[in-house]
Amino acid sequence: MNSMTTRAERKQKIVLQSITFVILGVAFILMWNVLIKTRVVSMQAVSAAPLPNAMPTNLFSDLYLVLLMSFLAILFGIACAFYLQEWLPETNWVRRLIEGLVAILTGIPSLLFGILAIGIFFSYAGTLKMIGGSPVPQNAEAIPVQHDTTLFYAEALTFILMVMPVTIKTTQGALHSIATPIREAAYVLGASKWQVLKRQVMPLAFTRILAGGCRAMSRAFAAAALLIGIYTWHYTTESGKMPGRFMLFLSGALFLSVLSSTLIETHRSSGRNTVNLPR
Amino acid sequence: MENKIEISDLQVHYGDKSALNGISFDVHPNEILSIIGPAQSGKTTLLKVINRTLEFTPEATVQGSVKLDGVDIDTIGDVYELRRRIGMVLPLPVGLPLSIYDNVAFAPRTAGLRTKSELDEIVERCLQQAALWDEVKDRLNTLGTKLSGGQQQRLTIARALSHQPEVLCLDEFSIAIDPVTTMRIEDVLKTLQTEMTILLVTNLVQQAKRLANRTAFFLNGDLIEIDTTDVIFSDNPANQATYDYVNGTFG
Ligand SMILES: Nc1ncnc2c1ncn2[C@@H]1O[C@H](COP(=O)(O)OP(=O)(O)OP(=O)(O)O)[C@@H](O)[C@H]1O
Ligand SMILES: [Mg+2]
Repeated sequence: MNSMTTRAERKQKIVLQSITFVILGVAFILMWNVLIKTRVVSMQAVSAAPLPNAMPTNLFSDLYLVLLMSFLAILFGIACAFYLQEWLPETNWVRRLIEGLVAILTGIPSLLFGILAIGIFFSYAGTLKMIGGSPVPQNAEAIPVQHDTTLFYAEALTFILMVMPVTIKTTQGALHSIATPIREAAYVLGASKWQVLKRQVMPLAFTRILAGGCRAMSRAFAAAALLIGIYTWHYTTESGKMPGRFMLFLSGALFLSVLSSTLIETHRSSGRNTVNLPR
Repeated sequence: MENKIEISDLQVHYGDKSALNGISFDVHPNEILSIIGPAQSGKTTLLKVINRTLEFTPEATVQGSVKLDGVDIDTIGDVYELRRRIGMVLPLPVGLPLSIYDNVAFAPRTAGLRTKSELDEIVERCLQQAALWDEVKDRLNTLGTKLSGGQQQRLTIARALSHQPEVLCLDEFSIAIDPVTTMRIEDVLKTLQTEMTILLVTNLVQQAKRLANRTAFFLNGDLIEIDTTDVIFSDNPANQATYDYVNGTFG
């Protein structure tokens, strides 16, 4: 190993570590918010045992929109992966940065993203409006989940952060598997980069890219299902209280998940070996 | 007589490691020049320089010049055009994910040819020359990757001929092909010689002896000797190492 590689490695390690700390910080703040505010919701409003039909209808219309956005994010993710893998050299710092982020985000189970989405709906939709002055209504039918655009964007962002990295990672993997010697078969015939991508790489990689897209979409659906499930449970259970410990354990899960991805990534970039832990 | 290819002081490094240490020689038009030498001697690297596919190996650096018809290949703006002027058969067959017909029609199509009758004519001629036509003429629309290893190798030969190259480079084309078919292709190469210049990298010294007008002996990135095949395979080539390698007493 010459000194250049080690210096680049060290730089990459520092970048990855700082990303991890930022993500962990944000995650903890969000979780803390959820923890505090769901308690408020539970104690003041939901204990009134409302009926199932009290569920706010715009939860569903929002969810459909969010799922549509996830789908678009997947298409965009595929385009990003093509750009990263086919146009940027492996040493490019933007590519390294995005790959580091992707490695961390793909390591987070969709369950945790689902919880995050719930947190956003609960804490910013229900409670903020209630705590902010007007008297707490006695049944949930009176709790309108405000169609708040910031809320919607936060929700959409959560889903995008969940589906994009998976898409980018699987697409990059699919493209990477079509190695230069395979492509050379087309290049020696005078094909341009576009022709090679269109007539050789795409047909060979298509199935894997599609599979990656499906996996990403399944994450989105899983989170949506969880969101609906918990929401329903919350509005139909007598003591629909979110136990604080529930959120604490979830924070722990998020922490460990990010830690594990970071460890794998730094281990790989240190050039020793490739570890693929089962997910 | 103009030289087809002129190589002068060609050096190739992979990172710090030298693969060709400043070699110079000329390739005459319409000759079969065979390039022999043990593993790692830089034969494949040389071919990759000529059609500029070494550009896909980021750590490789090239110094010196390669001229095709007197023009430095680095100054040729349209690298795709250059690659179509040079046919390349790589040692391991790679099928394009297309039908047999489309595999052979790939290069003419990338060059802009669309006429069905002309494409049909090219496909049949090239498959004939690659000694594959009889085996596949009834199933031109099946996937090329469904063929056997040896058939796929012949398909790559047909592809390399499909764009009517001026120079045909073959890199150990016969590893996957049985001796009888190899002989048929060797006969075709001899007749193709009237149309094009042929660079034949081979591990089979007898193949070089059978086909080549001249033979070059490479060793560890150096061109040890280049001469007529008769001289190289005689009892007294200029270099002892050449004699030892050709007669199998090398090393
Ligand atoms: N992509 C690469 N990266 C680093 N080194 C390489 C690469 N390709 C070839 N080399 C090195 O360059 C030297 C010449 O290799 P080359 O493939 O040209 O040899 P060759 O004569 O074709 O050998 P063979 O008969 O085994 O095919 C070897 O030492 C090889 O290790
Ligand atoms: Mg070789």
